[in-house]
Amino acid sequence: MSVGKRFPKVDGASKADGSGIYADDISLPRMLHAKILRSPHANARIRRIDPSPALQVPGVVATLIGAEMPEKYGVIPWTHDEQALATDHVRFVGDEVACVAALDERTAEEALKLIEVEYEVLPAILTPEDALAHPEIKVNERAKVGNITKQVQLEFGPVDEALASAATIARQTYFYAGSTHTPIEPHCAVARVDADGNLTVWSSTQIPHYLQRELSRVLGLPQAKVRVIQPLLGGAFGGKSDPFSLEFCVAKLALKTGRPVKILFTREEVFYAHRGRHPMKMDVTVALDREGRISAVDNKILIDGGAYASFGLVTAYYAGQLLTGPYRFGTYRFDSKRMYTNKPPCGPKRGHGSVQPRFAFEVALDEAAEKLGIDPIEVRRRNFIGEFVETVNGQKITSNGFLKCLELVEEASGWRTRHGKLGPGRGLGVAGSMYITGTAYPVYPNEMPQSGVLVKLDRSGRVAIFSGASDIGQGVNTLLCQIAAEELGCDPRDVTIVAADTDLTPVDLGAYSSRVTFMVGLAAREACLKLAEKLRVAGGANFTEACQRAEAIEGAPLAAAGGYRTQKLGGDYRGGTIGASPAYSFTAHVAEVEVDEETGIWKVSKIWAAHDCGKALNPTLVEGQIEGSVYMGAAEAQMEEMVYDQRGLLFGPSLLDYRIPTSLDTPDLESFIVESNDPGGPYGAKEAGEGPLHPAIPAIANALHDACGIRIRELPFYPQRILKLLRERRDKERAA
Amino acid sequence: MRKTELIKLFVNGEEHSLAVPVQRTLLEALRYDLGLIGSKQGCDKGDCGACTVLARPRQGSGRGEPILSCITLAADAQDLAVTTIEGLAGPQGLDVVQRAFVDCGALQCGFCQPGMMLSARALLDNCPKPSLPQIKEALSGNLCRCTGYSQIYQAVQVAAGMRKPSARAPVQAERAAPSDSVAHPVKEIVP
Amino acid sequence: MMTLPAVEVLRPGSVAEAVELLRDKPGARVLAGGTDIVPNLKYGMYETQHLVALRGLSKELRYVREEDDFVKLGALCSIDQLSREASMLPALADACAQIAGPQLRRMGTLGGNLCLDTRCVYINQTYFWRSALGFCLKKDGTLCHVVKGGKRCVAAASNDTAPVLLALGASVRLVSPRGERILPLRDFYLQDGVHNTVLQSDELLVEVRVPVRARSLKQAFGKLRMRAAIDFPALNLAVALEVAQGAVKSVALCVSAIAARPALIRGLEDLAGRPADARVAEELARRAQKQCKPLTNIGVDPEWRREVLPVLVRRTVSRALQD
Repeated sequence: MSVGKRFPKVDGASKADGSGIYADDISLPRMLHAKILRSPHANARIRRIDPSPALQVPGVVATLIGAEMPEKYGVIPWTHDEQALATDHVRFVGDEVACVAALDERTAEEALKLIEVEYEVLPAILTPEDALAHPEIKVNERAKVGNITKQVQLEFGPVDEALASAATIARQTYFYAGSTHTPIEPHCAVARVDADGNLTVWSSTQIPHYLQRELSRVLGLPQAKVRVIQPLLGGAFGGKSDPFSLEFCVAKLALKTGRPVKILFTREEVFYAHRGRHPMKMDVTVALDREGRISAVDNKILIDGGAYASFGLVTAYYAGQLLTGPYRFGTYRFDSKRMYTNKPPCGPKRGHGSVQPRFAFEVALDEAAEKLGIDPIEVRRRNFIGEFVETVNGQKITSNGFLKCLELVEEASGWRTRHGKLGPGRGLGVAGSMYITGTAYPVYPNEMPQSGVLVKLDRSGRVAIFSGASDIGQGVNTLLCQIAAEELGCDPRDVTIVAADTDLTPVDLGAYSSRVTFMVGLAAREACLKLAEKLRVAGGANFTEACQRAEAIEGAPLAAAGGYRTQKLGGDYRGGTIGASPAYSFTAHVAEVEVDEETGIWKVSKIWAAHDCGKALNPTLVEGQIEGSVYMGAAEAQMEEMVYDQRGLLFGPSLLDYRIPTSLDTPDLESFIVESNDPGGPYGAKEAGEGPLHPAIPAIANALHDACGIRIRELPFYPQRILKLLRERRDKERAA
Repeated sequence: MRKTELIKLFVNGEEHSLAVPVQRTLLEALRYDLGLIGSKQGCDKGDCGACTVLARPRQGSGRGEPILSCITLAADAQDLAVTTIEGLAGPQGLDVVQRAFVDCGALQCGFCQPGMMLSARALLDNCPKPSLPQIKEALSGNLCRCTGYSQIYQAVQVAAGMRKPSARAPVQAERAAPSDSVAHPVKEIVP
Repeated sequence: MMTLPAVEVLRPGSVAEAVELLRDKPGARVLAGGTDIVPNLKYGMYETQHLVALRGLSKELRYVREEDDFVKLGALCSIDQLSREASMLPALADACAQIAGPQLRRMGTLGGNLCLDTRCVYINQTYFWRSALGFCLKKDGTLCHVVKGGKRCVAAASNDTAPVLLALGASVRLVSPRGERILPLRDFYLQDGVHNTVLQSDELLVEVRVPVRARSLKQAFGKLRMRAAIDFPALNLAVALEVAQGAVKSVALCVSAIAARPALIRGLEDLAGRPADARVAEELARRAQKQCKPLTNIGVDPEWRREVLPVLVRRTVSRALQD
């Protein structure tokens, strides 16, 4: 029995002793180092570009400009709008323009300064409001209408009727600031072309398969000639799930020079690569009937997308589609619009698209419940949508342990005796959430499996698993070992994992949308079950002997494949498949805060987080995912924001100025695992990597209300904002 | 060509003579000249702690104190005895700190952790039974983006012999496990 | 990775050798802990080709001792060392314990902290970033982005030891090939963000002297920072009071992280004779707020800093009086 155990990570020792290979640890003979020249303007035409002076610098081997690979790309096939290096239009400060490969990094960096670029500077669009007001200024030519990447308008049931008959309505505007993933490892890619013209790219990517497709398209190479290998990855969180300029640049330069080429982003460049949380302005209306049931939710969402689409088409849907649990909505309507702006592109950060509306909704729900005098936990319990039900927008919820989650955090936080009673400056707040376990469909439509796993048994008793999945720190390689041990009866430490290598491993679509445990887990289990049957028939005193007897019976090496096949899911309307997932996870948090009312300085003292992950295949890993998510959510509430000046220049693209919490800033975290045993998941598992982030922000906001009677509707909850709200509250009290 | 110089570095008990560009940082020398890739680069300039190594004057004793190799010039590190993550494990295998980090799930992506483990090692060298606030303080110069730090604190406490790795709250079952994942015939083969 | 420009490390073995190197190599800069200068070099903030590294002077300049009515602190004492060994000056030890993060405190030195370059959101950035901005007064440009039309750089003193040592009435010993001078710290700093000290290019700060009487002052350090470690101050201040029979005899209050020069609050003489109580704390808070005007040079809302300043002063003074 291996599944469900606290099994240490299989790659733990190699990470602990420093021997694990990450992308920048790769060094090849004759390798060149390249650097990228970036636009100093937020919006400009490139009139002329001449890289030749850079070639004169001793040590410079090659230069590269956009005209050498103009093909547009993007992770979503419908929105190819990026170029590795701009040919004629730069769209944000930091957009890539040219590249130099040299014998060392410093030489390349100095040579960049010699590249001549003539710009015609254009007015920059820096807010989504401006993007709407100035359709004549085109940020990105791909937009069919003005600067809109994507607009989604959907209504489920008669919202206006429900609003008219509501017992109470909370209607407010919320603003969610943009933040970024900040993996500690900066993006890095290395490319090599062998004598037969086969290209290999090692990259810190979460999506080897999609990257392989895009490299092939942009470089004009057959896909079979492009191999992508993902080494150990030093954190991603969605920030490495697009193809990035550096991957195309190293590949093209390797083709051009015949030498291996590496690009390692500086920390500043990681900020420009971005793809972080979209800033969203949300006009939210929540209506409750007399019993406190949610009769209507209406949300108008304006999304600041940055200069390129990235996953933006999906973001516009997710912002609306993923809000419809764990509570039953009587009626629901949303209108979400993602705008192009002249800033680094936003994308999928942990909890893609749904963290922002979840914050607004959970705060609004608290506010509405307060008007009816209903306890915040009670209103959430009362609106519980149930198990094996369909949401108002047609998503099929299977297992649902949300009530258990609520009960656990209510109990652990001492809610009943402490909420509303902690005295001035201290308070408790609650919030809940739901998240997808993988998105039902691949980003490019096809009938092939979304995940494949090959398992080979050796007569020595060694098991080899070939899996396309990206272990980005979440531990999927460890889960694969546990699944093999569970089904085959081998020792999990006798399993070799070959992962995320497009030449060697079956396709997996990537580590995004919390799909990996579920889909790869099912594929692995399927493959292992096939082999287990052969072992059972063969018999034997131990595992090795069983392998040998089975191989003798088979007359061939023992191997089997398993796959995860796309299920038909989702509502029967345009866009109804986006947000559809084979299972949903559920979370509840209670946060406790302390506020210094004189300065506005506050802190989260503790967060209790309970998460329904279906089944914890490895509780230690699940706890790590829950705690990491809660930390990251709390960080967004506390301090993180991408701030730009009036030129579109990102303030402080460094880990000093873009503050992420240190150990001393992180609240005490207590995590609880709830197992609802989903009938569709591997051993009942759902997801744990993203869902638990969501409630942290609204739980903190609601706790601030409990502590000092303020409703904060804008992130981050800077002390100056708290102080201003406190002053407004006092003024109001004085006036009353 | 770039201006280079000959330097001597004393790392993990071994002296190395190197010809490096004059402005080589200690981190670059460790990673790219000595192949000690366990020291990581995260922020370029002393803000994240991923490049942490332990250092003391050569004539001193012990492993020394955590410093940041990305903002230390290699040429200026010649009088130091440096310990990197590669120097932490011994012939007996992983150091107790490394072992505890593996056991407690403190290593997710693992990228910040060599620096984190060295900071933890230095703490335990000076203070074998640290309190939780002392642990938090000692690790406050090492940013981790994966864990929320909890499992790291547990790992340090385990390494200090103050708790067991698996002393966690039990999993809460909402419903009995589905029958198909309970028992499987192959288990008969388990020796 | 962000790389360093070509810069050569020179390794003198004595103070005399060090200052000669500073004299002989034009543009040379001092490298002590490296926590300030190395990031700044990576950002292309200096044209320096030579770094005079002081590690070889550690034995000579790393001491805490009492002598001739002074507490003498060698310039190469590490910040971490002072947080433990300067307990006779509790405000200094406290300030040192709150600087940056653990590794930076081990590397950073007292001399380095006192000579820390001024900071501003428009200057402590990469060369690319500053070029996109169009540069600024402090380096390579002509415009100030903090004070529109400003002609003098307002980058802020961000050292935490400076306000404490100013409040305690410290002086510094400076050595050059021409000899040495001892300067009250209050005469050391200038109101000029480009170069905010009187230190000559061939001069080295080798020692800090705090009058022994400072040990008996009621003192405290207060700091506002947005993150609990790895951060510079958004405001910092130190207060030192001489109290006898429950009455204030003298008081010094220094507020920094606002402008190029740490501000010793002026005109506090009339507080002598007042009871050392909450009202004097209140009064000091009022005066500090009046004399300090936070700007956008630090990336934290200046209005809010202005509002928090008196609270921080009041609390710090109260803390000093309690001890």
